Amino acid sequence: MRWYAGAIYVFLYLPIALIVIFSFNAGRYAMDWQGFSIEWYFKAFANPFAMKALRTSLVVALWTAVLATIIGTLAALGLERVRGWLRQAFDALIYIAIMVPGVVIGIATLIAFVTVFDLVNPALAALVGDAAPRLAMGLPTVIGAHVLFNLAVVILIVRSRLAGLDRTLIEASEDLYATPFATFRQVVLPLLAPAILASFLLSFTFSFEDFIIAFFVAGPDSTLPIYIFSSIRRGITPEVNAIGTVVLVVSLTLLIAAQFLLRERGGNRRRGAAA
Amino acid sequence: MATAAERGGKGVTALLVGPAATFFLLLLVLPLTVVVLYSFGERAPAGGYAPAFTFDNYLNLASRGQAFLNTLMMAPLGTLLCAVVAYPMAYYLAVKASPKWRTLLLVLIIVPFWTSQLLRIYAWLLILGSKGVPAYLEMIGIEGVRLVNTRFAVLVGMVYGYLPLMIFPIYVSLERLDKRLLEASADLGASPVRTFLQVTLPVSLPGVATGSLLVFILLMGEFIIPALLGGGKVFFIGNALVDLFLQSRNWPFGAAVAVSMVLVMLASIVVYMRFVLARGGMRQEPVV
Amino acid sequence: MSDDSKPISSKDFIHELMRYRRGSVSRRHFLGVTGLGLATAVLGNAMPGLRPRKAWAAGELGDTLNFTTWPNYFDQANLDQFTKDTGVNINVTVFGSNEEMLAKLQAGGTGWDVFVPTNYTISTYQSLDLIEALDLARIPNFVEADHDARFIGEAKIGGAIYAVPKDWGTTGYVVNTAKVKGAMTTWKEFWDRTRGDLSGLVMVHDYQLTTIGNALKYFGYSFNSIDPKELADAEKLLIECKPHLFAINSDYQPAIRAGDALVSVAWTGDATQLKRDIPEIEYVLGREGGEIWTDFYAIPKGASNPAAAYAFINFMLDPAVNAREVQAHGYPSTDSRTNALVPKEMLDNPILYPAQELLSALEFGAAATLTDPLRAEIMARFKSA
Repeated sequence: MRWYAGAIYVFLYLPIALIVIFSFNAGRYAMDWQGFSIEWYFKAFANPFAMKALRTSLVVALWTAVLATIIGTLAALGLERVRGWLRQAFDALIYIAIMVPGVVIGIATLIAFVTVFDLVNPALAALVGDAAPRLAMGLPTVIGAHVLFNLAVVILIVRSRLAGLDRTLIEASEDLYATPFATFRQVVLPLLAPAILASFLLSFTFSFEDFIIAFFVAGPDSTLPIYIFSSIRRGITPEVNAIGTVVLVVSLTLLIAAQFLLRERGGNRRRGAAA
Repeated sequence: MATAAERGGKGVTALLVGPAATFFLLLLVLPLTVVVLYSFGERAPAGGYAPAFTFDNYLNLASRGQAFLNTLMMAPLGTLLCAVVAYPMAYYLAVKASPKWRTLLLVLIIVPFWTSQLLRIYAWLLILGSKGVPAYLEMIGIEGVRLVNTRFAVLVGMVYGYLPLMIFPIYVSLERLDKRLLEASADLGASPVRTFLQVTLPVSLPGVATGSLLVFILLMGEFIIPALLGGGKVFFIGNALVDLFLQSRNWPFGAAVAVSMVLVMLASIVVYMRFVLARGGMRQEPVV
Repeated sequence: MSDDSKPISSKDFIHELMRYRRGSVSRRHFLGVTGLGLATAVLGNAMPGLRPRKAWAAGELGDTLNFTTWPNYFDQANLDQFTKDTGVNINVTVFGSNEEMLAKLQAGGTGWDVFVPTNYTISTYQSLDLIEALDLARIPNFVEADHDARFIGEAKIGGAIYAVPKDWGTTGYVVNTAKVKGAMTTWKEFWDRTRGDLSGLVMVHDYQLTTIGNALKYFGYSFNSIDPKELADAEKLLIECKPHLFAINSDYQPAIRAGDALVSVAWTGDATQLKRDIPEIEYVLGREGGEIWTDFYAIPKGASNPAAAYAFINFMLDPAVNAREVQAHGYPSTDSRTNALVPKEMLDNPILYPAQELLSALEFGAAATLTDPLRAEIMARFKSA
């Protein structure tokens, strides 16, 4: 069994290893090792378009995660109070949002927005004149499309956590004369915290990694996956490998840091309980 | 929160649900409606959409039959392979691995996901290309093996890309397995195989079903893996769709393909859930 | 001896081209008399000096230029030089077909400043109002008279010029003669051997014009045919060949270099580049015919940085810069002043300047192929198959 697990890990990490190793390749072409060099890392950081794409991805992912988590949590709470056909419609929409392939959502959003913009822009120009804002595809459209997909995921996660909540705690809080808001803030929210945190992380990850939807709706802007894709078409140089490796290393570092923090708090608690 | 509905009333509910509703309307209902509308239109002379009402696009769907077939054959196959490869791994992690290492091992499975999917698939192009595996095979005497730009390469890419997504649900359900049951079964004289079939497998089935459904849905909509690893020769519905918008510029037909793609997926999911969940004798569990 | 000090008129050029195609004059004569060849060294010296490069103040042109072009189609050193001169960073996007460029421009919001369309697309871009007539005062390095009217023709609509020529070339196929036995000279051999001994080793472009066009050539039909019966034959051939193809990809250099594919439909410059590094590569123009084309620089309507766009195009058309381009990407230029600066070996290279009987069989792409729904559909069906 252990051999099998080992083999699977090799399978999972072989491409990663290749990416990392060839980020140090002195030559231009992958699979053509020409000596060790870290020049591509410098080139990557000096490349304004790569860095802009990275920044764009981070900004989009952050906005998406924040918006999706907040709106989704509120919606999950609110949906508890909705009954009947409205509730069913909502549930259907949530499942549709998850089930429709990214490709379809990307293309649908693109043509819908292009059509709407083509209708709205002339109207705006007619109303306001030259100073009219020109609606176009760009960061807001990417964030919008990403939030939509992640909303569905967040609602599902928070809702399932809500379903498992111990109602007696809330009743107890009310019996003790807490206002609904206080109950929410001091009882419900902490209980929901793991789900909210998980939703935030998941939304951030999906948005940061997404290529398909961004590819269609980003307009002139580039997210990191879009930049990598056009690098592949241009002829991939180790510079792209360097960027991929950096992202990997940063994520790993964050993860290890999180592990340490959690372990510390866990350790303190144990010490506190034992005392 | 049964009494919450009275508190604050409709106003609060609207406030809570409003923003989400707006998003769903603007970014899901609107685009999908536009797509359905376009699917009945005609291709403008130089490409794009010309308003019309015709069923021609739907009638023409058969011309993409091969793409539909490819997807409907390879997506389930990929899901099956993924499940088969993932199961022993999940079993090892849930049952055999020591708890001390378990978290680390689990995290190590997800870490690859933090490099760009495109880069990882491109790396597979190198591994399967003429300077990769075939070169090594040639060294031991097996000549003329071509792996890249084939269905095989696409399958490898699919299994690779979705393996973690399959391992986790199976792991989660196997983790609930009480190890003492396994001991008891062995004590009662059951062979390992029988133990597995009658104790372990039933417990893990919900996880397998969840993982399979998730992976299946995602595989049906794939287009990057076939595009990069199939060398332009393996077409999924996703590829046909992208091609219609990016090369043929036939928006109405593309819209029709999109609509039928969603309908096909709906149908497959319903069939799948009936089949798999009925077999497993399980209630319908929510996806998440 | 013709008067080399005056640029040739378009009428005379066509006359000379016809003579050359008929074989009445040698290639050397043709090159010499039209100003395309070595004799322009004289012409070059007689011209008022190369126009001095304009100096730009820092930040005057913004900081980004979005440049959309084809694979392996520029000299990075030239782009870096432009960045050094002007402070503008150039963001390069690469496409493999005109249809894709058109699709993106139709969807809008591309943010492109300069792109490279092929001759047959320009009339469509203009009719769709996607490009504007160029302000030639901002491109002083473009001297219309120094370019061949035959190559410029399609960019001139209603008297205004909508795009300036970058280079011209042909579409044939490259063969790795070290691994492919027997000479190949026709499209018939290309498609037959794909299904035969070269199965699994041949590439075609993800581009309807060349893929369908060269399939049509197998039957001797016109490269630009939109006749449904002829297209049906071509489609049948393509679908039969599909399982034997290595890939359908317009970026074929990596596969040829790696030896994954031995034969591929190819453009002039890629053949030049490949042969430079791998001498066994040969460039074949099918005897039945094929495509001759011109590529242009154009500025889409609503470009985000038109000032930089004009400066960039002007920079790239500077004969010294353009000559470096030609040497890097291996496509022949339409500009006589540029050719004056290109080394003799390149001007004598039969890849860049094919023999007259091969050249005469070639056709310029037709605008109809871009908009014809049947050709687009056949390409999609071929890829779906």
